[in-house]
Amino acid sequence: MPARPPQIVAFGGGGFSMEWGNTLLDDHVLALTGVQHPRVCFLPTASGDADHYVVRFYRAFPASRCDPSHISLFRRETGVGDPRAHLLAQDLIYVGGGSLVSLLGTWRAHGIDQVLREAWGSGVVLCGGSAGSLCWFANAVSAFHEGEPTRIEGLGFLPWSNAVHYDEECGRREAFLRAVADGFPPGYGVGDAAALHFVGTELAEAICSRPGASAAHVCRDGDGGVSEHRLPVRYLGEEAVALGKRPAGEEAVALEDCPAAQAAPPGRALAA
Amino acid sequence: MGGGGFTRPGSSAALDRFVLSLTHKPVPKICFVPTASGDQRDQAMRFRERFDAWPCEPSILWLFHLARDRVDPAEHLLDQDAIYVGGGSMRNMLAIWREHGIAQAMRGAWESGVVLAGLSAGAMCWFEGGLSMSGGAPEPVRGLGLLGGSLSVHLDSEPERISAYRAAISSGSLGPGYAADDCAALLFEDGALRECVASREGARVVAVRGDGAGGVDEVDLPVRVLSEVEHGRHASKDLSAVSELRALRAARRRWEE
Repeated sequence: MPARPPQIVAFGGGGFSMEWGNTLLDDHVLALTGVQHPRVCFLPTASGDADHYVVRFYRAFPASRCDPSHISLFRRETGVGDPRAHLLAQDLIYVGGGSLVSLLGTWRAHGIDQVLREAWGSGVVLCGGSAGSLCWFANAVSAFHEGEPTRIEGLGFLPWSNAVHYDEECGRREAFLRAVADGFPPGYGVGDAAALHFVGTELAEAICSRPGASAAHVCRDGDGGVSEHRLPVRYLGEEAVALGKRPAGEEAVALEDCPAAQAAPPGRALAA
Repeated sequence: MGGGGFTRPGSSAALDRFVLSLTHKPVPKICFVPTASGDQRDQAMRFRERFDAWPCEPSILWLFHLARDRVDPAEHLLDQDAIYVGGGSMRNMLAIWREHGIAQAMRGAWESGVVLAGLSAGAMCWFEGGLSMSGGAPEPVRGLGLLGGSLSVHLDSEPERISAYRAAISSGSLGPGYAADDCAALLFEDGALRECVASREGARVVAVRGDGAGGVDEVDLPVRVLSEVEHGRHASKDLSAVSELRALRAARRRWEE
């Protein structure tokens, strides 16, 4: 494994589960490993190890591009024998969306939270969207049950706070601004198709798979309120255009139109 | 339940009807909790298939799938007449329940008289400990402790459990308890075993306790076989109400997407 700094790529929404046909974010995290044929392990825990999600992962990360695997914590008897050794041997760990609270509970029951910290420190790239983004931060607002988004403590690898689907889902931004005003650490609200790349605990850049996707930094203004600054977000499709590839971002299809998603439950089952 | 119930395709309905009968309500509210399976939809679908046909108000508590309902999960559980917990990973289920505050809600429901039922992981969870195989090898896992002692399930279908269960009891890592076959169930009232029932002839419940000399004593308990019609609950009279109930439910599908 090449020497890599600790890296986390936190998607506000996007990647194979939300943007079928648009591979820009997934391509980007694969490239960050610096390896031709990276070992990629998918953790579908937040979805309850939903079969349809695992199938879509293997379609999006075929053996021609990488060495894919997944760990099911609900069907341990069918999976890898030693999750710790397996996770530490990866180049990229990809965490799927779903329920953040259920994700954290299950990980703690199996000591996966500790293993992921170790993996992160040893240079395994960590990424994920929705719950798979929120989990890395100290604090998060999650809207798993409809209604007022709730405040949740995450793993705290990144000492910031986080909200996802920031501009897309009604109430998330407002709840996040309030949470920061009430004492959440400064943090990031990230929209669908946008992602934050952290090296160590510092933001290296914001990227996106669709022009116009947004990310914001939010902190207290010292006057009882909060200030919100929109971050510059680099569109990954420009590279593809420059290289003569078709800009995959324009080919994005809605999840509802994706045949693979037809087997999936209706509604936003995979949202955090 | 040591196994059986609606999650086993083609299984007898007697145990499920028995659970409903314990509520002593004409149209009980019953909530299925599929956490141990990671909220697998086929389990929930089978719950629907069976309970939709009966006079009751079934609902499902999802902890992985986004729920469109604003009702608090703990409040919803406390509002039930019966709670039915499915099988799967006992370790995962209890960890997730703790994070969601469900563990406390279950105790509250129990204390307020809600009938608690379940099979496999959903049966062992009520005891101080159970013998879980969801990690691959059999291992003792701590439960909610509403009932003292321990439980081991699938006595007949997963024979490797019983030797691990005996070892756990003789070593003291699990308290004394019971091993139950698929289709056998134990009914506790106020923390005490009232009777063992089964949906088929020959299903066993065995009491297991340490013999103080590094081994265990085992005693087969009497098991009453439930008849298929005994708990039919005035089927003809109530069936007319089923369609009306369905219409009501369609208007407010709680906990469903």
